[in-house]
Amino acid sequence: MAVVNTLYDVGARDENENKTGFAHLFEHLMFGGSINIPEYDAPLQLAGGENNAFTSNDITNYYDVLPAKNIETALWLESDRMLSLAFTPQSLEVQRSVVIEEFKQRYLNQPYGDVWLELRPLAYQTHPYKWATIGKSIDHIEEATMQDVKAFFKKHYTPSNAILCIAGNLDLNNVRALVEKWYGSIPAGNKYQRPIQIEAHQSEYREKLIERNVPSSAFYYAFKMMGRNHPDYFVADSLSDALGRDKSSRLYVSLKKNKQLVSEINAYITGSIDTGLLIISGKLNEQVSFQEFDTALWEEINKIKTVELESKELDRIMIKIRTSREFQEQGLLNRAMNLSMYELLGDANRINDENRIYSKITTRDILKCANEILQKTNCSVLKVKADKNAR
Amino acid sequence: MQDRTIAPTLIAIDHIDFTAPKTHRLSNSVNLYHMNSVPNETSRFDLYFDAGKCRGAIGIAGFVNGLLFSGTEVKSSIEISNEINALGGFLETGISVENAVVSIYCLRENLVSIFKVVIDAIQNASFDEKEVKEFLSDRKQNMMVSMEKVGYLAQREFQQKLFASNESYSKTVNLSDFESVSQTALKEFHAQHYLKGLLKIVVVGNLPDKDIGFIKEKTRSLLTEKSHCFDGNLENKNGSSHINKEGALQCALRIGRTLFNKKHEDYLDFLILNTILGDYFGSRLMTNIREEKGYTYGVGTMIAELHQTGYFLIATEVGKKVKDDTINEIKYELNRLQNEKVKQDELQLVKNYMLGQLLKSADGPYSMTDLFLSAEMHGKDLEFYNEALVSIQKITAERIQELALKYLNWDDMTIVSAG
Repeated sequence: MAVVNTLYDVGARDENENKTGFAHLFEHLMFGGSINIPEYDAPLQLAGGENNAFTSNDITNYYDVLPAKNIETALWLESDRMLSLAFTPQSLEVQRSVVIEEFKQRYLNQPYGDVWLELRPLAYQTHPYKWATIGKSIDHIEEATMQDVKAFFKKHYTPSNAILCIAGNLDLNNVRALVEKWYGSIPAGNKYQRPIQIEAHQSEYREKLIERNVPSSAFYYAFKMMGRNHPDYFVADSLSDALGRDKSSRLYVSLKKNKQLVSEINAYITGSIDTGLLIISGKLNEQVSFQEFDTALWEEINKIKTVELESKELDRIMIKIRTSREFQEQGLLNRAMNLSMYELLGDANRINDENRIYSKITTRDILKCANEILQKTNCSVLKVKADKNAR
Repeated sequence: MQDRTIAPTLIAIDHIDFTAPKTHRLSNSVNLYHMNSVPNETSRFDLYFDAGKCRGAIGIAGFVNGLLFSGTEVKSSIEISNEINALGGFLETGISVENAVVSIYCLRENLVSIFKVVIDAIQNASFDEKEVKEFLSDRKQNMMVSMEKVGYLAQREFQQKLFASNESYSKTVNLSDFESVSQTALKEFHAQHYLKGLLKIVVVGNLPDKDIGFIKEKTRSLLTEKSHCFDGNLENKNGSSHINKEGALQCALRIGRTLFNKKHEDYLDFLILNTILGDYFGSRLMTNIREEKGYTYGVGTMIAELHQTGYFLIATEVGKKVKDDTINEIKYELNRLQNEKVKQDELQLVKNYMLGQLLKSADGPYSMTDLFLSAEMHGKDLEFYNEALVSIQKITAERIQELALKYLNWDDMTIVSAG
């Protein structure tokens, strides 16, 4: 099999605040036929392949997986929709309804489904990360026009804003010739110059309580952290692992197993290119108050800020990171996506440095990082209170 | 300049190389399968137990499965987690109607050490009361969250109707079942279905023979002794039912019937019919319900296999207002497959797509092992997939219509909605 991965340097952060959800809606429209080819999926399926895409706050990523010997079909299709879309009104209308159903299915019709719609605007005040990729509300999706669609394509969907990664057991010269054949004549277009988007420095503790008809109360502590290109990004990642990756982590052992305050607790990072978030989230046990939990959580946070991790704790975190990386790397699609992401960050070669960077992290680095990130004035908390009478 | 409207020439898939794992016979009914050709440091093992949900009283199989790593007389659950995590192991436990499975993903250098910890935890699980209480409370909370999801409600009701002919298969857990779980019952189920219930071992990874020998040695006492019977005559209860969910924005639909598995002569051809109807992005249902009408984010169909039988399922979640329209459109698409022959270009597309999928499912040692296991469960070997290749290449529109008439009658279906 072979993979054709195309990353466009556009995400929800590039949207107009009054027209959110657009990058994602646009992703759906990329399957509605291109200038010379009426359908995207059918020819790829005829070649024995399949495809999909996803949109994040940072990027939009499209991929095709197909038998290596039919690789040219994917390049033909991908290049044609980079050249131009068909822009049929039917496609816009249908995908608009599909996305509205997706909005309902994933964000509104699920218990706790709307927490990211609430948490983002609490944690971010100036940066466009303050809205979710699905958009602020269904209204924005309902209001999108064909004019918006065309303008968005022109601005962002050019070769200058794209990274192409082709993976598989293929001959380089052959692939190069095919890429030249199908992409060579597409005008490079302008590289979109993103206005500098800096989240204003947070200097106060923020908290929001919402009431929902959910079975148990839930909490989301969001701490601002450095973006992906910062040298300490991987240290923060390791810190989140120490706090709440698995059943050996600090918060799980202390707050769930020993103190029995929560039914579940996790810590993870959002992996954003600009200022990201380190999140601690979970659900309270019945009879436990937010206050009681909050006190116990800050006790644990203070510990990790005061005393360095034990070396066996660090070893455990590192072997898990190494193991999961080995598994990720054995998948062709994963590798293609990862390479594209590193190229976007500045250099695909940096993918080779990850292991080395992780292996150099010390318990002191983590202590220092914990003190930078895990401050109350750097924290935004969303509490979802279980209430049978709420919506 | 080349003409961009003309597609590149396609090369047909006419051959796929399948590699089988090596079979080690552990007893008359238990095998160990070892896939050795893994070109990197990763590895995995799976232990399959005769401890699926169809065994024991309501809920007990799920409880014991969830408590397997909750501690022994000597080690606490935290100590067990720490040992596995310190070796970089990722533990997964899972349960289906007929099986329970414990899996570990790790680096090959750590597999044997982790295996020791896992076997010790399973063999000596003590079902400590405090752990049991905590576990049940967590599970109950999870279930309360699930009960808020229309997809879960529909699936639950569907299972009850689908397996209506056999209570062991149709039973589903209720919130009240979390209240009356005795330690004795947990221990009895554990003794019967885990300590004497190992059905199959799977190892993927470039490991030396001595490691495989060690695994064989360590599991000798767990092997199941009797041959296990699974129901081969399950029959669904046809007709419609609806579960009302106040405030839901969407309605979940589950439509299907009991059918067959790989052992049946119509299985391979039905798989093609299933793909046309709803198992790829360009399927009839996706085209109609999503791409033309925008009723849903997704709709799909599948054939699920059990040891002695199988079932067919259509699943989707749609806007509440269009529930009846959607059901009518699904009915319309089933009828259309019965009344009209599939056109050649559509059939050709599905054939090519399926050949590509088959090639993909044979790509890499992990996929290949899963492919093998799916055939092995029904007493077949990888030759089955060469037969699949031929049946995909040869199938005709007449044959598809014949199968639609035989198996896709609306009156045979169980139709469940929740919303």
